[in-house]
Amino acid sequence: MEIEELSDLVKRHGKAIYSFCRVLAANRADADDLYQETFLKAVEKREQLDASRNPKGFLLSIAVGLRRNHRRKFAWRQRIAPMDELAAADDRFDLAGGATPEETAISRELRDRIRDAADGLGDKLKIPLYLFYTADMSVDEIASALQIPVGTVKSRLHQARRTMKEKLEAELL
Amino acid sequence: MNDSEKLDRLLKQALASEEEPEEKLNEELINRYKERNRMKRGTRKRLSAGVLVAVLAVALSATAYAATQLFSSKQVAEHLGEKALAGAFGSSDAIEINKTVTSGGYEVTLHGIVSGAGLRGLDASGISSDRTYAVVSVARQDGSPMPKTSDPEYGKDPFFVSPLIKGLKPWQVNIFTMKGGYAETVVDGIAYRLIECDGVEMFADRGVYLAVSSGGSFFSKDAFVYDEQTGEIAPNGDYAGAAVLFDLPLDKVKADPAKADAYLRELLKEPSDEKTSEASASPGSPEDELVNEMERLNSKIPDAKVLEGSVLEVGYDGKGNIVYDYDGWHVVRLAETLFTEGQTGEWVVAGFSGDDSGYKALQFSKDEQGVVKGRILLLD
Repeated sequence: MEIEELSDLVKRHGKAIYSFCRVLAANRADADDLYQETFLKAVEKREQLDASRNPKGFLLSIAVGLRRNHRRKFAWRQRIAPMDELAAADDRFDLAGGATPEETAISRELRDRIRDAADGLGDKLKIPLYLFYTADMSVDEIASALQIPVGTVKSRLHQARRTMKEKLEAELL
Repeated sequence: MNDSEKLDRLLKQALASEEEPEEKLNEELINRYKERNRMKRGTRKRLSAGVLVAVLAVALSATAYAATQLFSSKQVAEHLGEKALAGAFGSSDAIEINKTVTSGGYEVTLHGIVSGAGLRGLDASGISSDRTYAVVSVARQDGSPMPKTSDPEYGKDPFFVSPLIKGLKPWQVNIFTMKGGYAETVVDGIAYRLIECDGVEMFADRGVYLAVSSGGSFFSKDAFVYDEQTGEIAPNGDYAGAAVLFDLPLDKVKADPAKADAYLRELLKEPSDEKTSEASASPGSPEDELVNEMERLNSKIPDAKVLEGSVLEVGYDGKGNIVYDYDGWHVVRLAETLFTEGQTGEWVVAGFSGDDSGYKALQFSKDEQGVVKGRILLLD
């Protein structure tokens, strides 16, 4: 692969890959490492990259694979936010000058709590969740990247959402 | 909006990321790619100061897709991404051997070797017809898997894999001194190593072996015995680990005594003649060779130039390791291994890296405020 081709690949998909690496890795240094290794591995697998016709999906699948083989252990925090707070958050949105929830960003603290809850999921659920919400991939694309059936992706996303809801409501119990 | 839709919306907002890779990160990625390409074409020699294990390789991790046992040199080369070389291993000029020897608790297999004519026309792919490439695999005799390259256990029992030439002192003429390198991968519990070095065909009339031993990355006189009278090299039957010698069935017609003599004159010129004669009188250890080489490189440091842009404050990974990335170097080291207590204001060497175009040194320095910086020196 020529340098220009690699640069172009990075330009087109770098942000999506980096975003995904950031949520997978424990810290920025590990994410940076995973990001670079992903592209370098993709270059070595040039033929498979070209054959996939979905370079972003192929790159993300490499990142998933590399992370599995990665030496470092990640420590995850688990914090939960009650569903009451989610309801309260909506109220706050409504009170904030009449802006709709879609137009108002969620608070940083709430975002962190949701991310922590997602981080606490096992890889089986976490990775499809991140591929769907962080990397903005479709169910079909996720199935192709992870080499699992579409039905399995749907099932895992459903399970992930359900688990997230339970985690975020747990404080109420 | 029901709860499910609410949750979906919140997940979208919370998990979407606006982070972008820094420009510097992408520049380093391109540099690493260039460095890897350069290393594939030339020598791959990296000496780590103060550490007796020198890694001459790019170790490649097995990926989530690897599920097939690899039997041939061609398959191994393909798996390591060396498509052109895979073709060479599949050519009629390659020698497919597939011989297995059990030694020291390991099953060692020499899969195949290719040199010379089998490599012609591959220069554009960075493969030289002046080089020799061979594939070896190592499996544990008890069937337990070899550690993957990503495993913390990987490298704890390092292997030496190298051509050796009958009549030539193995500590002087081996993969390390013949501008060699290797790439390694572990598939289904079996370690596969693709080695390369200067071509050995020119020595075909002398007798060429492929040596494999465990317990160290260098030639070990504990693992192999060299008879100075006859020039024969043999595994040491009392060695606790693996020590295997394969005879390489090279075509004697391809021997080139004149070329071999000229090559050896050049090879044995460094270190200095005085040191060469010392080595002849009493065989030095591989560690002595490494120390000599490091001394040679250290002597170039006072006149070395600093690589522009390389003086950078290091990062930290939160585990006590410093992190330095520049010009293809990616170093993660415990800070306390670099400096003695209270040592400030001095540049200390952390490693060397070299290839056909010259050598570089990596240094770190800590100031009185504890700020650590790294830099790269151009030695040639």
